[in-house]
Amino acid sequence: MTDSRSSIAALSDQLADAVAAAGASVVAVHARPRLPSTGVHWKDGVVVTTEGTVKQEEDITVSLPDGKRIPATFAGRDRGTDLAVLRIPPGSLRVAELGDPAVLRPGNLVLALGRLDEGGARAAFGAVSATGGKWRAWKGGEIDRWLQSDLTIYPGFGGGPLVDSTGQIHGINSGALSRPLATTIPVGTVNRVVAQLLERGYVPRGWIGAAMQPVRTDEGGGLLLVSIEKDTPAAKAGLLLGDVIVTIDGKSLESFDQLLDVLSGDSVGKKVGLDVVRAGKQRKIEVVIGERPRGRGRR
Amino acid sequence: MPSDLFLGDAAARLRASVVAIVDEAHGSGRGRRASRGGHGAGFAWRGGDLFVTSAHVVSTQKAVVVTPDGRAVEGRVVGRDVDRDIALLHAPEARVPAVTCGDPYALRPGSLVFAVGHPLGVKDAVSVGVFQAVRAIPRGYGMAEQRPRRGRNPFIPWVQADVRLAPGNSGGPIADVEGNVIGVAAMIVSGLALAVPAPDLERLLSNS
Repeated sequence: MTDSRSSIAALSDQLADAVAAAGASVVAVHARPRLPSTGVHWKDGVVVTTEGTVKQEEDITVSLPDGKRIPATFAGRDRGTDLAVLRIPPGSLRVAELGDPAVLRPGNLVLALGRLDEGGARAAFGAVSATGGKWRAWKGGEIDRWLQSDLTIYPGFGGGPLVDSTGQIHGINSGALSRPLATTIPVGTVNRVVAQLLERGYVPRGWIGAAMQPVRTDEGGGLLLVSIEKDTPAAKAGLLLGDVIVTIDGKSLESFDQLLDVLSGDSVGKKVGLDVVRAGKQRKIEVVIGERPRGRGRR
Repeated sequence: MPSDLFLGDAAARLRASVVAIVDEAHGSGRGRRASRGGHGAGFAWRGGDLFVTSAHVVSTQKAVVVTPDGRAVEGRVVGRDVDRDIALLHAPEARVPAVTCGDPYALRPGSLVFAVGHPLGVKDAVSVGVFQAVRAIPRGYGMAEQRPRRGRNPFIPWVQADVRLAPGNSGGPIADVEGNVIGVAAMIVSGLALAVPAPDLERLLSNS
């Protein structure tokens, strides 16, 4: 192609087409005072947005692409991954066309979409900055892929989609997960969390009911039990204050992240073996992972 | 698409019409400002001797217009709309090709746009982004929360774009992918670039 004017105009048109296509499944979510956030019609009757932008669980409305404002009901939230789910009547608008975030590479052009008012979908433009494997958000949630871009997440764009140049949606943008970087919660993680939120209204987290502190030992490191609550998995397993857990599920245990990896996913109800140092002697203890009670600690 | 041609032609054409505006009040008196080589941008609007800039760039009736080929010529303010932050300068010696204007109301969100100005004193710098809307400032964005000043209408439309601006862009053009000017860079609110819609210039400046 030699005519630069027409090819750049074609790219501009393509980006506008991508905004129009993806924007047809993007809503404004009114769940906080003043500034709405953005939501994606993820599956029919289900809108996904970011947890941090849902300040009220009653009297929520969403604005559709045609400007109509309809009521939505709160279905659940997960602070760990910064996702919240709302229900709206089925057939209200087009369902998002989801892509595969694994195909995105640093340098690919991407858009962040937002819907703030009746004026149509809005876009920010940039490139994928970095991609990578599984990581844990500071809020505790497990995210399947690292997906960072140089997009500006404008006020109200949180909860909106990351869109490629063909209009496919690759995830939900969170301004809060990794401020000030634009971080995207990829499709796979959103699917997993949405399924759990629709089923239970929350994401069950594994828990043993003890507080621990990392310590150094002669053999390396471990987690020292500094408090154990009554009637919890830790208490039932016979763990005692001062025990140092040095392995869990056959793997060495030196940091909270390693413990959280074992407690995440479908861990509730699973029996895991621990190697514990008590009074200088190592012994084996089995503990059945419980479900973290809701309404205590982080939701 | 060869990468060196990305917007290159349109940007070159528009840059030939962009000037630096040095406020007389700053340029002669305080050396610090003058040494920065102007603190605003403008562009040739009609016939090569009429220039559009932001009203906040020119505080008196006179300003120095620095042409793309580096000549500093005198400009006289012949029109000003402080509420809309637009001023019109007459600089007969400038002889700079006029821009062509586009219609922001015809643009779709996501369309590529670019700004030319002198952000932080960098001469004729181009920044690229996408068009968002021509509307009143979104509710909850910076200024929209404040009470309108001096009877300002909070519902006046602005060209809103995801494009990086900095001090020194004020008064410079924001253009579509063909280089047609769709707005005059005015300010940044909550990170969003706001520009006076090009179609408003005609009316504003004929009234002033």
